Amino acid sequence: MNNRILCSIFSLLLLSGGVWAQAPADVTSVPPQLVDSYDSLADTILGAKRTERNLVLSILATTYNHARATYGQAAASLEADRDASAELEKLAALVSQLGNEGDAAVAAVRKRLLEGGHHHNAAGEQQGIYDPGFVIVTRAAKKTFLDAAREIGRLSRSPDPDTLRRQWGEVSAQYASLIRDE
Amino acid sequence: MTSDRRLALGAGLLWGCMASLPASPPSDFRFVEVAAEAGLDRVLLAGRPGKDHLLDSAGAGAAWIDYDRDGHLDLYLVNGWRLEGGRVVEKGNNALYRNRGDGIVEDVTERAGVADAEHWGSGVAVADFDGDGWPDLFVTNFGPNVLYRNRGDGTFQDVAAEMGLQAPGWNTGAAFLDADRDGDLDLYVARYIEASLKDVLEARPTLDWKGVVKVALGPFGLPGATDRFFSRDGERFVEATEPSGLTDRARGFGFAVQAHDFDDDGDLDLYVANDSDANFLYRNEGGGKFQEIGLWSGAALDANGAAQAGMGLAVGDVDGDGLLDVFVTNFSEDFSTLYRALGDAFFEDASRPSGVGPASYQPLSWGAVLEDFDSDGDLDLAIANGHIYPQVEEHPDLGIRYRQPNLLLENDGRGNFTDVTGRAGPGFQQAESSRALVAGDYDDDGDVDLLVTHLDAPPSLLRNDGEQGNWLRVECRLPSGSPWAVGARVTVTAGGRRTVREIASNGSFLSAHDPRLHFGLGTASQADRVEVRWPDGTVTRLDNVPANQRLLVVQATEQTQPGARTERR
Repeated sequence: MNNRILCSIFSLLLLSGGVWAQAPADVTSVPPQLVDSYDSLADTILGAKRTERNLVLSILATTYNHARATYGQAAASLEADRDASAELEKLAALVSQLGNEGDAAVAAVRKRLLEGGHHHNAAGEQQGIYDPGFVIVTRAAKKTFLDAAREIGRLSRSPDPDTLRRQWGEVSAQYASLIRDE
Repeated sequence: MTSDRRLALGAGLLWGCMASLPASPPSDFRFVEVAAEAGLDRVLLAGRPGKDHLLDSAGAGAAWIDYDRDGHLDLYLVNGWRLEGGRVVEKGNNALYRNRGDGIVEDVTERAGVADAEHWGSGVAVADFDGDGWPDLFVTNFGPNVLYRNRGDGTFQDVAAEMGLQAPGWNTGAAFLDADRDGDLDLYVARYIEASLKDVLEARPTLDWKGVVKVALGPFGLPGATDRFFSRDGERFVEATEPSGLTDRARGFGFAVQAHDFDDDGDLDLYVANDSDANFLYRNEGGGKFQEIGLWSGAALDANGAAQAGMGLAVGDVDGDGLLDVFVTNFSEDFSTLYRALGDAFFEDASRPSGVGPASYQPLSWGAVLEDFDSDGDLDLAIANGHIYPQVEEHPDLGIRYRQPNLLLENDGRGNFTDVTGRAGPGFQQAESSRALVAGDYDDDGDVDLLVTHLDAPPSLLRNDGEQGNWLRVECRLPSGSPWAVGARVTVTAGGRRTVREIASNGSFLSAHDPRLHFGLGTASQADRVEVRWPDGTVTRLDNVPANQRLLVVQATEQTQPGARTERR
């Protein structure tokens, strides 16, 4: 929560004493000004959650597009019987990042949010659908991405265009499914 | 055909044969507790009784080290502090016990100058960092680290400050390795969380665990500390974490680390066990540069893609395929994980099919050792257990104990494990909150014994009195005279089986094993071949080596005749 929001809340609290004082003695409901302010704050909080979802979607989209381009390069190299090991390892890394909802630096941010008690999908985590802090990628999707990443990585040692095509097909389908659900 | 090609072809044929390795029959294990009679009495301190902070319950490591090079393994124990409420009431001394060779040890800590009482100890690694032939001690601390240079006269000198290795913080596992293959040793230091002594002293149990008990908070909710890498640069070490590609961008809660050549390309890679975070596998790309490949190599998460609470590590070839597998200990009510190597540093989680996962599900596990305890030709698995929340004792309905028996799992030779703790002798029937577990043949009788540390108690020394097959103990000695040939890979072929092991400066949970490698030969009366690949890539081969001996292999130099100089004793 940024300082501006904290200042707003603090100001509201200062004002609240006066608001209560102006209210008729027989009224026990919370003064409407405070409810309105809280309502406003709710917009901000919920908006932040939506922003988080959109940001993670952007991370996934960027990663996926990068991966798709890399897949094209790797497939072309294999087609031309050239060494594709560097491209395949890069592709494996990108697909693993799809599974991890970003790279290690993103994971560190996610951990910071968890440290602060923020779980985007708290209910989903309880049900075992999401790993702690994950926003879009379900556990099942994560496993699909990570399994594919390993198999693509192994292709760097024993290249096989058909296997690459098949693994990329699974990655694409999984990604499409996640995005469709959004 | 080049000699390398011929070797590769030979190896391929051998692997083909090993696919049909017969299962080994069950053995009679027997471990006996002899710590008290040996004279091991140092109580290892661990914060407050209630373990209000994770530092109170993390424990510390231990190392087998023949510091005086008399041929007998001596023992170094790292110690913590005792707290009461928010006060430090006792700063525990680390301990160095000299092995007299008759089953009795003597405390030489003061004489050697290695007590390090001013720091809350964490882990230890052993290597001859200065190449003078004497093994040195690197002690990680909650606070500045200590590098004890072995003077060779029975005393040590702390040179951490002048060598640039103090690096305050909560340092945990440490591994020496020659990352850039320039002939000297570099150092990776894992770190856990960012915390000050004030944080520790003021900590209170605030985490609601299972809705019934308040326990120490963490590691979630606490900031992760980034690991560090120090490169040897002339006379000093310099931090080279970022230029080496080892930046801990995930800020993982690091515990154990080990350096091994997981992709068998001749240089040492790094595996880091992180608590509650994905583990790291840093592949050495050559020239001292690393790439983190844990997620896509299959070595970072469990079979479900979940991060686990990595604590300790054991590395070894469990299924006789010539590849180094990785075992990671984890929290209670979760599998400890066996990552079976697929080659080229790729792994798959084999915890369930191997039997390791179900057997390790209930306890909270720390130290781990892969050793051939019955010398039948395959690596068995010992695991040290103990919970971090003493409060669980007040809630028997949870079915979880603070003090837990350790585990011994027998390998059938194909990488399938069976829990044999119940018939492993009295040494495996005691329950403590154990942490470090280190392997070494302390009584020089040709089998592998175990040292186990416990929180707030003296350690256990578990003498191996079980039945043994034939064996071979291989000591790889560098030209300097040091047996810490870190990164040396020894391959023993016997009875149709090929076993690969590597020498490391550390292992298990924040500890260091005997650097002399034990090979069980089963019924084979000799090793058909012993091959040592030295850290510099040179190779020594010995054929038809008789069993049941301590084999000393000394690396040849330009000053010695070409080939190996081999001594048997």
